[in-house]
Amino acid sequence: MRQASIILHLWKATIIQSMEYRASFVFAIIANFFDFIFGLLQYLVFFTAAKSIAGWDSDQMLVLYGVFMLVFALHFILLYPNLVAMGDMVNSGNLDLLLTKPINAQLVVSFKRISLEELGSIGTAALLLGWQFYRGIIVADLGNFLLFGVGIITSLLLIYCMFLLLICLAVLMERLDNMSQLLWSFFSLARYPVEIYPNRIRYVFMSFFPVAFIATIPASALLGRASSVTVWSGFALAIVGVVGCSWLWRCTIKSYTSAGG
Amino acid sequence: MNMAMFKADGKFAVLIAYFKIILTYRAMMLIHAIRLLLLPLVLASAWLSIEKTASNPYSDSDYLLYYLLVPVIMNLTDSRVVFKFSQAVKDGSLNRELLKPFPPLMSYLLESLANNALQLLYLVPFTLVFWLFVRDRVLLGHLKPSLLLFFVVAIIIGTLARLVVSGSIALLSFWIEDVTTLNLILNGGIWALLGGMIVPVATFPENIRHIAELLPYRYMLSFPIEIFSGRLSNSEIYIGFATATFWIILFAIIMHIIWKSGLKTYTAYGG
Repeated sequence: MRQASIILHLWKATIIQSMEYRASFVFAIIANFFDFIFGLLQYLVFFTAAKSIAGWDSDQMLVLYGVFMLVFALHFILLYPNLVAMGDMVNSGNLDLLLTKPINAQLVVSFKRISLEELGSIGTAALLLGWQFYRGIIVADLGNFLLFGVGIITSLLLIYCMFLLLICLAVLMERLDNMSQLLWSFFSLARYPVEIYPNRIRYVFMSFFPVAFIATIPASALLGRASSVTVWSGFALAIVGVVGCSWLWRCTIKSYTSAGG
Repeated sequence: MNMAMFKADGKFAVLIAYFKIILTYRAMMLIHAIRLLLLPLVLASAWLSIEKTASNPYSDSDYLLYYLLVPVIMNLTDSRVVFKFSQAVKDGSLNRELLKPFPPLMSYLLESLANNALQLLYLVPFTLVFWLFVRDRVLLGHLKPSLLLFFVVAIIIGTLARLVVSGSIALLSFWIEDVTTLNLILNGGIWALLGGMIVPVATFPENIRHIAELLPYRYMLSFPIEIFSGRLSNSEIYIGFATATFWIILFAIIMHIIWKSGLKTYTAYGG
């Protein structure tokens, strides 16, 4: 409880901070909006030369894009600013200061900052999904919606695993900029349905390196095409992943010898 | 230009210096490599698993060859002048550049050259290894020396086109504080859509393809690969060269004008 209120206070502080630079905040929102539009146009252009991709037609692909953007925007709001901050913290030695404080360091490192620049994308992604629902591409089915919810949580947990791995890397390497670029590159793997990849790669994406669960599985669930076994096993995988990565983080911090200052 | 002149001008020394700087940041190169290679691989997989529309002329072999070459061409024509220049205006390091007895814009060109040449160290082996894996599915029987010559010329033209378009956007930093949004639209978004990143230009429906062929973006990525694939006739290649040259000259003039008037308004804050 105390931890949660500390995080809330930190969030409030970062929001106040970003409001100091209102012009660049507005610019960022506009840039993200165009990013969303260009992402959408990509699919429309894609379907001028293709009828369907690996069994997904253009309407179903728009659902996939909506789900992808939802997850991407959530990551951008919650994790991205912290990933950027982590590079600085290791470099400047502020991490040492944080580790001495009587609070769960992983929690603060993961959720210290929040960025509201992608709020628009969440709205637009929700609109896109709502439109597909209105057109009957997404069928109202409580079971599907439940699986979709589990799928989204799985997706966010897996992204959080990736985030933890990257900040561990930042601590170990002591200098690692542009980690967000690395994360974004991996996001591009999830922009298209996982069925497009050759069998062996698809197997890897369903297990060791679970790209499939970022967008394909939640979108399939929403369309009523995913089996509940797949969705729930992904959820189990994500829980194991978060526990494992948290353990890695603690090991990393134990071996951390401090840099900068 | 002979070697002595090149050295005397200092360009060669500056180029070597940039090589050294880039080699210091090897980890950055790795991240750059992932950025360059991952998306083309994803797109290649996507295009190999589509159900084609009737008017789509590309076969699996065409798509494989296309996306094998995309990372190489994308890298060779890449220019980071937008980020470098707006940064230099913001933090005032442009002041230093202006004092050097060396054209400031030239140093951005050299930095791009050094950077793009170094990326070839891994891009070429990677492309070759990948080609070995799929070689029985990629047809290369049509390649002749004249085609390869056109290919090289097209890459140089593409590099110049991207440089002058990016450069014009970059120079707007004199007035606009954040040019990255503008760059995202004019240089990133439209380039990806109509330059041939997401969809090879040759597979567009007729009307979209005509627009793409008139805009400068096709010549930065799709055009050299189209030449390499042997799908263009000689006259189509010449028309392409002419169109791209027109854009290069136009944007070079625009760049020159912006640079002249920008320097007048530039007040050299920061330091």
